[in-house]
Amino acid sequence: MSQAVADRQETEERQTVGGRFARLMDMGDGALAFWLLLPTAVLLLAIIVYPVCRLIYTSFLSLSLTSGLPASFAGLQNYRDMFADPVFWSSFWNTVIITVVTVPGALVVGMALALIANIPFRQRWAFRLALLVPWALPLAFCGLIFAWFFQSDYGIVNDVLRRLGLPTVIWFNSYAWATVAICLTTIWKTSSFMALIILAGLQTIPRSLYEAAEIDGAGRVRQFFEITLPLLRPAIAVALIFRTITALQTFDIPYTMTRGGPGTSTVTLAMYIRQNTVDFLDLGYGSALAVAMFALSMIVTVFYLRMIRRGA
Amino acid sequence: MKYGKTVLLALAGAVSMLPLQNASAETLHVFMHSYDMNLWQAVFDKYEASHKGIDIKVTVGGNTSEQQAQYLNTQMSAKDSTLDIINLDVVRPAQFAAAKWIMPLNDDLDGGTKYLDRYLSAYSKANVIDGEVAALPSRADAMMLFYRKDLLKKYDIDPPKTWSELSADAKKIQKQEGGDLQGLSFQGAAIEGAVCTFLLPYWSTGHTLVDKDGKLTFDMDAAVDSLKLWKGFVDDGVAPKNVAEIATDDTRQDFQRGAAIFAVEWPYAWNHFQNDADTAVKDKVGIVALPAVEGGKSATCLGGWQWGVSAYSNHKKDAVELTKYLASREVSKYIAIHGSLLPTFEDLYTDADVTKAVPWFADLLPVVQSAHARPVTPRYNEVSNAIRTTVNAVLAGQTSPEQGASQMQARLQRILR
Amino acid sequence: MRFDLLSGKPLRIIAGVILLFNGFFPALWIVFTSLKTESELRVTPIHYLPTDPTLANYVRAFTNQPLLLYLFNSLFIAVCSTALTLFVATLAAYALARLRLRFRGLILSVIIAVSTFPLVTLLVPLFQMMRSLGLLNSYLALILPYTVLSVPVCTLVLVSFFDGIPRDLESAAMVDGCTRIGALFKIVVPLSAPGVFTAGILAFVNAWDEFLLALSLNSSPTFRTLPVGITLYQGEFTFPWPTISAALVVGIVPVAILIMIFQERVVSGLTTGGIKG
Repeated sequence: MSQAVADRQETEERQTVGGRFARLMDMGDGALAFWLLLPTAVLLLAIIVYPVCRLIYTSFLSLSLTSGLPASFAGLQNYRDMFADPVFWSSFWNTVIITVVTVPGALVVGMALALIANIPFRQRWAFRLALLVPWALPLAFCGLIFAWFFQSDYGIVNDVLRRLGLPTVIWFNSYAWATVAICLTTIWKTSSFMALIILAGLQTIPRSLYEAAEIDGAGRVRQFFEITLPLLRPAIAVALIFRTITALQTFDIPYTMTRGGPGTSTVTLAMYIRQNTVDFLDLGYGSALAVAMFALSMIVTVFYLRMIRRGA
Repeated sequence: MKYGKTVLLALAGAVSMLPLQNASAETLHVFMHSYDMNLWQAVFDKYEASHKGIDIKVTVGGNTSEQQAQYLNTQMSAKDSTLDIINLDVVRPAQFAAAKWIMPLNDDLDGGTKYLDRYLSAYSKANVIDGEVAALPSRADAMMLFYRKDLLKKYDIDPPKTWSELSADAKKIQKQEGGDLQGLSFQGAAIEGAVCTFLLPYWSTGHTLVDKDGKLTFDMDAAVDSLKLWKGFVDDGVAPKNVAEIATDDTRQDFQRGAAIFAVEWPYAWNHFQNDADTAVKDKVGIVALPAVEGGKSATCLGGWQWGVSAYSNHKKDAVELTKYLASREVSKYIAIHGSLLPTFEDLYTDADVTKAVPWFADLLPVVQSAHARPVTPRYNEVSNAIRTTVNAVLAGQTSPEQGASQMQARLQRILR
Repeated sequence: MRFDLLSGKPLRIIAGVILLFNGFFPALWIVFTSLKTESELRVTPIHYLPTDPTLANYVRAFTNQPLLLYLFNSLFIAVCSTALTLFVATLAAYALARLRLRFRGLILSVIIAVSTFPLVTLLVPLFQMMRSLGLLNSYLALILPYTVLSVPVCTLVLVSFFDGIPRDLESAAMVDGCTRIGALFKIVVPLSAPGVFTAGILAFVNAWDEFLLALSLNSSPTFRTLPVGITLYQGEFTFPWPTISAALVVGIVPVAILIMIFQERVVSGLTTGGIKG
């Protein structure tokens, strides 16, 4: 907008009966931007910044709502407890395992799905929908549905195994198999998001590159590794960051599939935070656990950002 | 706003689906478990009939003790005023009183804490927290050994006195009978009942979990032995392979369809065994005190449920009145006869009407009186979780008994510091 | 423009079938399950198609629990947080797309950083805050966090759409006596309707899917959302799969219809939000 237009408009605005909005026009960009960004800022301050401060503060308190005692300063006690708590460590490692398995897993499966969806079928909408349905399905629903798939007597997974003459598995009766089930479910659920992002990336790659490669006599597989993959890097990097951060927060699928069992073997960090906060009302300890998860997320984000910067 | 009306309409629609509250009559909301509903409905109906203007509505939240505790945690943290009276497992008054979720009843009872003298001492003890009456006892409970009279008679076996006798007896009968007959059904799912499962043999060795001041007195050997004992039942084929999934009512159902020789159960099951339409064990059920470990004493787990008045109730006066009624001798007798629920009054165990309906109550008083209470602490939820998830993990073969016991100790140490 | 890894028609058809099966099978299987009777469900080897389809499970799904209320709660919370998100994000996006800001880069990075913020970690303080404000078990307890969850991504989507609208149009409107805010709502927003819509769907699905906060802050039956209601639903003694399946179908249908109609917008929103972010 040119200054002349703006000046003229401001003058006109002042001449009309000035509503409140008219007065906004007197502001410079800075002041207007302040008002426009204010709601976002207020929300972020109220729901992110203030809670983060309170979280860190609470993690140094001994505060249990069931004890009836007022909060008291506990120093590093919650953190010392955390490092000595076997369930914290198992939930920490479960979270790491789920992340390390399902993020690359979803990437590989998502890549395959995206390549298929990129085939010029006539019914494109159906294929796109096939990617959107798993994406839009609530994680909790997904957990319930797959819990039924893996049910030991009447689930379809064991049914297929039985029909193939293979031994069946009581999936939720052992840590290892329950983890396999949780990871498979998570990969199914999240690969479609990966596929959608990769698909968009695929569609931005100029065809001429492939034609040139064709002339050079490069096969399809070589084309994939020399053209497709490098050009997809930015899209993949972004998808990986998002996916990793959400994988660290894994809660819905294990909660609906195993509730953490057998024992506490499939409890994830997010589940343990919720349990201490809501079931035990031990807010001090729950806060310390949340700070641990916060730190973990930060480390991962910084790691990714550095990797992207180095790659760029 | 254009959509305001639509939203309002939709809201009205949603609200109208909630149970309607009669504004003129006083509605008291009672929170309790969802089983035995017919029995309790009859009790409530009777009270409504004699107290015009009082309307009792039941809110259920979960079928097991720990599910209900979780539900109540959020409700009470939210200072929810829609619950007036709360049914509490015997392990909970300490926590609820400490958190000030239930109102102290001293001023509303004749004689304050003395009011509780009428009840079995275990329950007057459990319901007085820091000199205040926190809740009134509803019913007593103690775990028992249920056995198939017919099968034991057939093989000329006396009810076992020790767990190893039980194991041998079960194996013998299982071998002869064949099929999928379970030797022993007990609770291995990660539910409150699994806390008792762990503590039964532990207590039987003579050790306690906490001392009088609530300090942890964990005995590692007794804990390992307890976990080994239960895991041994699974490994020997006495208990079913899926025992890690078995909750209290699964045991009741398995036993009821004749699929188990022995069962560790609570007395409520008796009524089902005798009177349910689908029972396969009518008149074939014997009940004795639980076995002991070798060289130990028989020990059982004190259960029981209490009625507390919510501190956030808007109808405290009426709620207290109803609570007194629900904890009265009259109701205790009624639910003993019609639901085989243990009375909280000593003399009812030998009451003629009661023993006519449930003859074995006559021998039960000493068992209940010697029952062990689980630790009394405001942080009981965590204590329970540490124990029951360990039992579950050991029974699922996830953790060895030794590992499980040391993990349990580490977790309990943090909680009961 | 495109790259095909696979050649040959049969291979492509097989690949296509795999994709469709992967996407639709779980939902389809739940539909089948929801039409079976409890006894048919307990047959081995299991029946794939219901031999004697029944709608009884749907009736039970609505009568055994207040499913309609859960559905309403989910919709109400999702719609409110979507509306709030769009309002807040539109203002912010306009400022970022149109105004000369000194800290534009910084503000954008803050928004991107927030979009990857692990909301789970805030469970304890949110629980404390809602508790002291008396908002546990209330619609607001979820609407506010869900809005924060969606504002960053929606802002990014809207910025990219606003960038695509010629500034001349606005200037012209302002010459005609429109205020700048007026121009925003009369010219920019309508012209970027696809973008606003896209952002709206993202916000809606975010809110519709959320489980942990809904489970932790609103567990009272009156305020349960659909995922919480269905997960906490337990029959007297067993896990009633047919009824749960019916409830799941009820929960899947609204969003399935939404994305079926607006799939192109959803895809473009996901990718702009994702790739630009």
